[in-house]
Amino acid sequence: MDNINIAGAKVYGYIGPDIPVLGRFPLSETLIVSWIVMLLITLLCIFLTHNMKVEKISRRQALAEWLVETANKFVIGNMGQSFAYFVPFVAALFALSVFSNLIGLLGVRSPTADLNTEAGWAIVVFVIITAQKIKASGFGGYLLGFTKPIPLLTPFNVLSELSTPISMACRHFGNILSGIVINGLIYAALAGASSALFGLIPGAVGNLLSTIPILDVGIPAILSFYFDWFTGVMQAYIFCMLTTMYIANAAEG
Amino acid sequence: MEGFILLSEATQVAETVTEEAGLVSFNAWIVIATICNLFIQMLLIKKFLFKRVQAVLDKRRELAEEDLRKAKVSREEADRLRVEYESNMEQAREKATQIIDLAQKNATQKSDEIIREASQEAVAMKARAEADIALERRKAVNEVKNEIGSMAMEIAGKVIEREVSEQDHARLIDEFIEKVGT
Repeated sequence: MDNINIAGAKVYGYIGPDIPVLGRFPLSETLIVSWIVMLLITLLCIFLTHNMKVEKISRRQALAEWLVETANKFVIGNMGQSFAYFVPFVAALFALSVFSNLIGLLGVRSPTADLNTEAGWAIVVFVIITAQKIKASGFGGYLLGFTKPIPLLTPFNVLSELSTPISMACRHFGNILSGIVINGLIYAALAGASSALFGLIPGAVGNLLSTIPILDVGIPAILSFYFDWFTGVMQAYIFCMLTTMYIANAAEG
Repeated sequence: MEGFILLSEATQVAETVTEEAGLVSFNAWIVIATICNLFIQMLLIKKFLFKRVQAVLDKRRELAEEDLRKAKVSREEADRLRVEYESNMEQAREKATQIIDLAQKNATQKSDEIIREASQEAVAMKARAEADIALERRKAVNEVKNEIGSMAMEIAGKVIEREVSEQDHARLIDEFIEKVGT
């Protein structure tokens, strides 16, 4: 039995000049798969919306309209009509998240299994939250907000504010990563069990069968349904739900 | 599971340039790229999904509103036509009643006139017929008178066997008639 090696994203190389602090730009698996995901989403959008008609619509167009209406309903329902311009942002976030989570099923590494991806999204959400708070109560009001209800709590308020994006990013990342880790462990464990079980058969047949991980067929698919499909869609939904809620709450002041 | 290794730092693979980042590693470039990706994706989704679908939805709503507006206009038109039709019908009914009344009146007048004329004519005819009858009777009486006269003459001639003079003749006839008449 070999070691199970669960590592981070591969980096295929570095391009561009060496910029201080940042270093050179890494051609990471995360980014390459992200671009593939973006390409897929964009192609899907183009496919769904080409040749649209006003009457006698195709199923394809019905799906496109349903997606748009669902996104509108979700964002406007959570944030109110004044935030309708956030719909494409939340939709992009959801689409990237779902596609990134599910592309792992194709055998490539999910971009969302890299904390940097969720960190980027969470930073954007954090900046929007902060901007909305400043817009709602002014810069002074925003700073004063940290001293409520009593100035003694200021450090905790700052901590709580900063923990919002960190918890969002880590929740998403942790769920996806745990799926990958558990899948890896289950594959290895089932291969070991398979080898031990069929090794009991005496002779050449037993030797041959014990090298084939027969138990790896089927059983991981059932677990994958939860860890990849359910968690993948659920985490995208939770991330978007929290994004809309936090931004809407921030705008209320 | 002693072989389960969480690689927390980058490991260099000797043969290739490919390296693996740590399971939880932070790289500012990737974060920046992800943020850019998010906004690019947002613009792409907006351009290729939301704008297009919204355009169709707007067009459909416009069409629906147009249809509603048209329906309203045609309903108003229909209402107007109905009112007009009803008033026309009312007028027509009145006119018809008038015409019938007039016709009845005319007919009554005419029939009265006809009856009057007919009765007048009948009276006139009756009078004429009576006059005719009287005349005929007088004629017949005269004829009979003459016949009887000539018969009497003949008889008298036969009786007397002589020619009566014209004077006697007339006197005889008159006498005869006087006798016959009484």
